[in-house]
Amino acid sequence: MKRKFSRREFIKDMGVGAVAIAAGPAFLNDVLAQTPGRRTLRILQWSHFVPTHDKWFDQWAKEWGEKNNIDVIVDHIGLADLRSTFASEVAAGKGHDIVEFIDPPSDFEPSVMDLADLNKEAEKRFGKQLPVATRSSYNPHTKKYYGFCHGWTIDPGDYRQSLWEKAGKPDGPVTWEDLIVYGSKIKNEQGIQMGIGISQELDTNMAERTLLWSFDSSIQDDSSNVILDNKNTVDAVKFMVELYQKTMTPEVFGWTAASNNQLLIAGKASYILNSVSAYRSAQKDVPEVAKDIFFTPALKGPRGTAHACEHVIYVTVIPKFAEKNADLAKKFLLDRVANYDRAIWESKLYNSPSFFNTAIPAGERGYPAVAHAKHLRDLHNAWFAKDPFALPGERTDKLLPLKDAEKWSVNVGFPGTSNPAEGEIFGTFVLPGMFARVAQGKQSAEESVKQAHEQCKVIFDKWRAQGLIGGKK
Amino acid sequence: MKTPRILERESVLAPLMLTPVALYMVLLVGFPFLMAFVYSFSNVTVGNPEFQMVGFRNFAAVLHDPTFLKSLLNTCIFTFTSIATVLVLSNMLTELLMREFRFKWLIRFLIMLPWTAPIALGAIGYLWFLDSVFSPIDWLLRTWGLLGKPGDLLGPMSNLYWLGRPDLAMASVIVVHVWRLLPLATMIRIAGMNSIPREVIEAAQVDGAGYFRRLFHIVLPLLLPVISVTVLFSTLFTFTDMTVVWVLTKGGPPDNSTQVLASLAFLKGIQGGDLAQGAAVAIFFFPVLAGVAAVVLRIAKKAVVT
Repeated sequence: MKRKFSRREFIKDMGVGAVAIAAGPAFLNDVLAQTPGRRTLRILQWSHFVPTHDKWFDQWAKEWGEKNNIDVIVDHIGLADLRSTFASEVAAGKGHDIVEFIDPPSDFEPSVMDLADLNKEAEKRFGKQLPVATRSSYNPHTKKYYGFCHGWTIDPGDYRQSLWEKAGKPDGPVTWEDLIVYGSKIKNEQGIQMGIGISQELDTNMAERTLLWSFDSSIQDDSSNVILDNKNTVDAVKFMVELYQKTMTPEVFGWTAASNNQLLIAGKASYILNSVSAYRSAQKDVPEVAKDIFFTPALKGPRGTAHACEHVIYVTVIPKFAEKNADLAKKFLLDRVANYDRAIWESKLYNSPSFFNTAIPAGERGYPAVAHAKHLRDLHNAWFAKDPFALPGERTDKLLPLKDAEKWSVNVGFPGTSNPAEGEIFGTFVLPGMFARVAQGKQSAEESVKQAHEQCKVIFDKWRAQGLIGGKK
Repeated sequence: MKTPRILERESVLAPLMLTPVALYMVLLVGFPFLMAFVYSFSNVTVGNPEFQMVGFRNFAAVLHDPTFLKSLLNTCIFTFTSIATVLVLSNMLTELLMREFRFKWLIRFLIMLPWTAPIALGAIGYLWFLDSVFSPIDWLLRTWGLLGKPGDLLGPMSNLYWLGRPDLAMASVIVVHVWRLLPLATMIRIAGMNSIPREVIEAAQVDGAGYFRRLFHIVLPLLLPVISVTVLFSTLFTFTDMTVVWVLTKGGPPDNSTQVLASLAFLKGIQGGDLAQGAAVAIFFFPVLAGVAAVVLRIAKKAVVT
């Protein structure tokens, strides 16, 4: 017999259904992933640009949990939501036990645990940590490790060899000046522009810091004093304006973080600053373009200085509210470093380790064994000398110029450490504004640098008053 | 089932029915507003919920910030241009839709469509339309010989770079916002028009009043309460909204050419970590907006009475 629904019943059932649909997946995931009587470790991190990494990581975390009799729940969210999500967790006083950022979360220092013991133990087990990692997770003013940095990503120059070959520079640019000389030649003769953003987005922020450092300037000195207003900054701004006028179009003012990748993959950029992920995407989507993409290390400035910003820095924090699970979290993070060979492989060399001396675990590792490789450094050298992910018929030594990237890669805040003031300047796009005002003819380089300097000073003073950074000016 | 007698009393039933709304207002509007108010007078940061009160320091700081002043100007341009455009276009659309013609239902459906789709989705569609390299609008302009070659009307560049030029970027966010607001404004206008007695219009026609005389002396005065409320809500909504700006430009092109107060508050408070200054930016214009709301509602009430 058919049952008739009254309108009231229908509305009631629909309401229950709607709530179940809305809240169900998250709640059910958590409930189903937990075993009664077992402790649970909750991890929040971004959705990796290379999807194979997350597939491996989630499985590895689950197996780690089984081995240690712990339920491990990994939540991946979009990069743009990480800060706001963790901010709500801090305000609520509950949430995940481990939160992984891809930029230094130094402003969260008051709400996270001091991880000095974890960092010390990691160095004991895996050897010295790279300076770029330490400078992104340690506050020398408060003497606190607010994070633990297990890895990072190289930010090289990506160039189209065939275009540069026709312009008379087959091995690509070596200096920033080469970008103007050969970049303008390529634009005028071959109609392909250069792709360095001057926009309110992440990649522009990194590229402009890279340029500034290579021109021997920076926002702060190594003691957290603002030193932006100097002749070298003015020269860097004037250089960028010339580069824009000779090699680019107004589109670079409206870019998103994906724009330079898209331009390169579409075969419409002669040079961009981006990680190997842009090249990996091209390998998948447009192999003929990928085969023509090669890499340069940091370009030299007018006095030979060459630095580049890290592209991604993985800094994990353990919130104070998760203190009861801190022992599990620390064990998990140490074991993660011990298995970093897989992270490098599964991210297709996107991830680089902070601890190069980590020993490679014995046994089957899910990738072809590398002869005589004992530590991550050996693996890294072998894979960067002969890229295991090169396409058939493609040159395998393209990544070789990036083998020693840790020597020229630096942190946001260099030559000082990362700090909340540098973070706010990064997050509110002070430098893109400084470069753009001059490129758009609204201010002279001197005026624009002075304005940016004053903005930075206000921000530094504010965070200094919070007791989170040192310095005096 | 019999309704309990106590529920039949208006003094009990009315508060009971209003309780959910009151709870909603207190928990989801009142409480966050109170928090923002308190935060704006404190030194709270995104990473440290413990704070001290600092008086008007945050307001003084944002007043000295060139980005705030620029965002304020942008907000005014964005709001008033959008609202004026919506008013004119909704008037035209109403005139069109009040007439009888074939497939009127289809036109009404198409006009309502932007209101039914999530704005983030629509804005992402526009992001593609306005792309610096792959914009189909630019492609059309090139195909029609208006762009891309020396001597072409819109210039020799292959693209217009909608989101890369400050003036075009501002125009783009305004157009998308108008596209978003127009359906509701039009439907409210149509509802208002339907409430005007036909005989009043017909009497004016018989007396020889032309289109503009009828519009300015009969239709608009009678529609004033409806238009006032539409303008009020659209203004408040636009003044405090960041969706279109955030999806299309993130406040760029630099230096903050399309930054509005709502997006600046998010940028400072969440991206920059300074929750207190973000809150100060967010509530800076609350007194002004509250005043505007009071004045407009008073005008609307007066218009109803007369």
